[in-house]
Amino acid sequence: MFSKKRAFAGVALATGAALALAGCAGGSDSADELDPDEEVTLDLAFWGNDVRAELYNEVIAAFEEEYPNITVNSTFLGYPEFWEKRQTEAAGGNLPDVMQFDYSYLRQYSENGLLLDLDPYIGGIIESDPLPENILSIGVVGGTTYGIPTSTNAWGMYTNPTLLGEVGVDEFAGGSWDDYNSWMAEVTDASGGDVYGGTDWTGRIQNFEVQLRSEGSYLFSDEGEAGFDEARLAEFWESGAGIRDDGTVIGQQTLEEVAPLSGFGAALTVSELTWDNFGGGYLAELGEAYPELGLIAPPVTVEGSQDLYLKPSMLHSIAANTEHPEASATLVNFLINSPASGEIFGTNRGLPASETALAAAELDPLSQQIADYEASIADRLGDAPPVPINGYGTLEEKFRQLGTELGFGTITVDEAVSQFFGEMDVILG
Amino acid sequence: MSTSNAYTTSGGASTPVIAQQQAMPAPLPPTKRRKVKRKTWQTIVWFVVLIALTALVLYPLVWLFFATFKPNAEFGQNTGLIPENPTGENYLKVLEGIAGVPMWKFYWNSLVLATAAVVGTVISSALAAYAFARIQFKGLAILFAAMIGTLLLPFHVVIIPQYLLFNNLGMIDTFWPLILPKFLATEAFFVFLLVQFMRQMPRDMDEAARIDGAGHVRIFWAIIVPLIKPALITCAIFSFIWAWNDFLGPLLYLTSPENYPLPIALRLYNDQTSSSDYGATVTASFVALIPILVFFVVFQRFLVDGVATQGLKG
Amino acid sequence: MTTTSTRALVTGRRLPKGRLMPRRRNEAPAQRPGQRRRQWRETLAGYGFLSPWLLGFFGLTIIPMIYSLYLSFTRYNIFQPPRWIGFDNYIRLFTNDPQFIQSAQITLIYVLVGTPVMLAAALATALLLNYRDKGAGFFRSAFYAPSLIAASVSVAIVWRALFSTDGPVDNTLSFFGINLGGWVGNPDLVLPAMIILAVWQFGATMVIFLAGLKQIPKELYEAAEMDGANALQRFRAVTMPMLSPVIFFNLLLGIIGAFQVFASAYIISNGSGGPAGMTNFITLYLYKRGFSDGQMGYAAAIAWVLLVVVAIIAFILFRTQRNWVHYSGDNR
Repeated sequence: MFSKKRAFAGVALATGAALALAGCAGGSDSADELDPDEEVTLDLAFWGNDVRAELYNEVIAAFEEEYPNITVNSTFLGYPEFWEKRQTEAAGGNLPDVMQFDYSYLRQYSENGLLLDLDPYIGGIIESDPLPENILSIGVVGGTTYGIPTSTNAWGMYTNPTLLGEVGVDEFAGGSWDDYNSWMAEVTDASGGDVYGGTDWTGRIQNFEVQLRSEGSYLFSDEGEAGFDEARLAEFWESGAGIRDDGTVIGQQTLEEVAPLSGFGAALTVSELTWDNFGGGYLAELGEAYPELGLIAPPVTVEGSQDLYLKPSMLHSIAANTEHPEASATLVNFLINSPASGEIFGTNRGLPASETALAAAELDPLSQQIADYEASIADRLGDAPPVPINGYGTLEEKFRQLGTELGFGTITVDEAVSQFFGEMDVILG
Repeated sequence: MSTSNAYTTSGGASTPVIAQQQAMPAPLPPTKRRKVKRKTWQTIVWFVVLIALTALVLYPLVWLFFATFKPNAEFGQNTGLIPENPTGENYLKVLEGIAGVPMWKFYWNSLVLATAAVVGTVISSALAAYAFARIQFKGLAILFAAMIGTLLLPFHVVIIPQYLLFNNLGMIDTFWPLILPKFLATEAFFVFLLVQFMRQMPRDMDEAARIDGAGHVRIFWAIIVPLIKPALITCAIFSFIWAWNDFLGPLLYLTSPENYPLPIALRLYNDQTSSSDYGATVTASFVALIPILVFFVVFQRFLVDGVATQGLKG
Repeated sequence: MTTTSTRALVTGRRLPKGRLMPRRRNEAPAQRPGQRRRQWRETLAGYGFLSPWLLGFFGLTIIPMIYSLYLSFTRYNIFQPPRWIGFDNYIRLFTNDPQFIQSAQITLIYVLVGTPVMLAAALATALLLNYRDKGAGFFRSAFYAPSLIAASVSVAIVWRALFSTDGPVDNTLSFFGINLGGWVGNPDLVLPAMIILAVWQFGATMVIFLAGLKQIPKELYEAAEMDGANALQRFRAVTMPMLSPVIFFNLLLGIIGAFQVFASAYIISNGSGGPAGMTNFITLYLYKRGFSDGQMGYAAAIAWVLLVVVAIIAFILFRTQRNWVHYSGDNR
């Protein structure tokens, strides 16, 4: 029984390789038509919870109805497990045909030849009309498109109006980072220490990036060079020393205790700088006592600068080793552009990037709020930075971790800076 | 590694106590074999101490049980035992299944995996342990050291190579990569456990059987296996529970949600990138706990009888 | 088996020497012509019994192990073939990685404090449970129950809640005038909270102790009692030596298991190893380096350092074995 299975697997492997070779040799001109009679089975992988999985099941059912010759087998996991599994699969040359993909892994997977070049399908199988040019360009690495964004998000600041009302402080009126610090201090004072104005924002690399972009710089260039030096990073972390030391922001110990919730999700802070697609999660964590959120622009570093940008909340990519690139592209198109997908997913995967999907999606109040927010910051939106460098996720996590240690006071700013640059040497070197 | 030298040559030198026993007078008359009567107050103290310990140890589980009635938003806000707004919603949600896969399917997958693990582990580990503990063969020392060496290996190190192997065998998304290793005694813990128990058994009996002309297969089956029944049952219980709770193995080798066992299913209520349903998570893990709790309650009885002692009374 | 030989066993009396085969045939010079063939048969039987294990050992363990040793001398991100870099990974570990040093320190503390505490708790409980069989079944199940629950998010949720500020533990301690606040978020107290978690899940160790206790012939106790030994003396004269192989097993496996602690740290810290890196145990660090950061070669180096350290400790333990571990089967 085993030997039979093994033999079969061998044959399958061999034919797979042959097909892949044939695909390479065939060139791209034959690669953009879907054969409607060929029986095809596709593997689709995504991360998410049970709710999202139900939605995918519905969308897949709609897809299979429209394309009866294609069967889709889907698999899903939580985010960290999803990537762990993809890594082992990548090592085994075994990636699923279509994947929900994350921006921070796009460069790594595409530069290692694991993802399919989507350019031959864009404008063909994958309709490009509903997708604005600045959206399509997000998934480009080294001049080639490897991912199509399902949805976008921008950096923003969530506030908790109910909690602010209880404390008796007005919404943050906008202003500089110093203004924000003062406003947080006001909230913390007014609440008598039960509620904090916010979290130490110097723990998030995105806030550093926003400041760098204001100054005309960047975090990392396309070549993987840093757009800042030790002194600039030290200055950034020092700028949070005041609010850390005087207890304006929520203590690191309390944050660790409420994790996996954030201080904001546990109703212990009234503001949080984060990606604007986190609102749904916050509402679920806060529960019925806090039915609404405020969403405003982050503090301003340099007036009039384009410090913000749109980032894909997730993308769809196709494995380079797929045996059915046309069918896979058809599925990607359906998942991104079809009205059915917009109608079923709604904003579960973020605000749809495709106009046709967005038009079909029913926006709940929060989604409408996010859509309005992204429209309101149009003046501050600049070009997206290059697709994150290899190892960006590691550096982001290191940054966060050093931020928590600063919060605990277990290291000095100088030590943190030297540790971060040490890690950068390893990653970039 | 030469650790096994100490192992295979240890012996008589370290047995002053038994010497003491040897000095003991005549064999016990059968009438003295009855249980020594315990004093009543001792039993009461015993009982009270155990009740107190049990309360301490079970408190977190009781907390968990009450938490299954907490609505999702209460997690992180109410650390007390009693839910402020009790609800049965979590149970309804868990009973619904996940993404079209009914809950019983996850149970069934776990049951299949755990049962296969028990059968495979007990058979293969007992065979290997007998060889290590009771047979003198060339290469014993080095192989024993190698077996101990595998205990020291962090599992994460061999993940990628093992994955590549099973991938080449075409076994991804089947139960084989999870079951096959169990039949090959790859969990050195069980081999070593049984070796320790077999070494504890007096050697004189199988020596006697050898004189009577019994081969290793018969000694193993007729003498050793009955004697180490408590240890075998221990192995069976552990391998069942560990297979039931295994997360990493199924995560790596199984792809279709219909093939997921419970530990993976339990995580599907959480997604760090959107929202997590802690109420459903806690409830699902509590519900998943029930079958193995029942399993343990049933099988722990076998640990009650001192099977080995009975064997010696033969 | 005859009653005479049973009694001989129980009392430790030996059968007349001539009736026993010499135990170590290979030590005795070949006196009889059948000796060599016998030895050959033994070896055959040995490998026969070992064959499933051998297959698994060579197929699933030794080759991946050697491969990982090779990887530890490379830079390897899974996607591109490993690139040989000599001892660079090891040099970086010991000279340029404060996280590794901290990780090694907290892991050692966890092992050296946690294992003895856990073993003592498990042995004490097993002795209590062994005192009397009637009614013990319930308690056995109760004590084992915490070990049944998978290392899931639920354990993290319950542990965080119990040890939070104004949680049950904090409130109880405050009642006695000890104000520690929350444990899980406090870098100084999270390690004790992790150790308590390990002790709480002592069920497997306890059951192994129990099984060992059950295999001690009751006759030995009765005999000791007849000699007038009190409970403590019986414990030292009968229980300890008879249980010593099992104690050895639990000690060795406890230490190895503690060195490899992963799941509890992963779930309690949500994979981060926090607060302030105080739950970043060595396997969690290894895992993060290998699977989150894609530094598989570096992770393999960490694994091999861990393996060597554990092997040294295991070696020392095996060497001390002859001083305190007693195997009945080796009685001559």
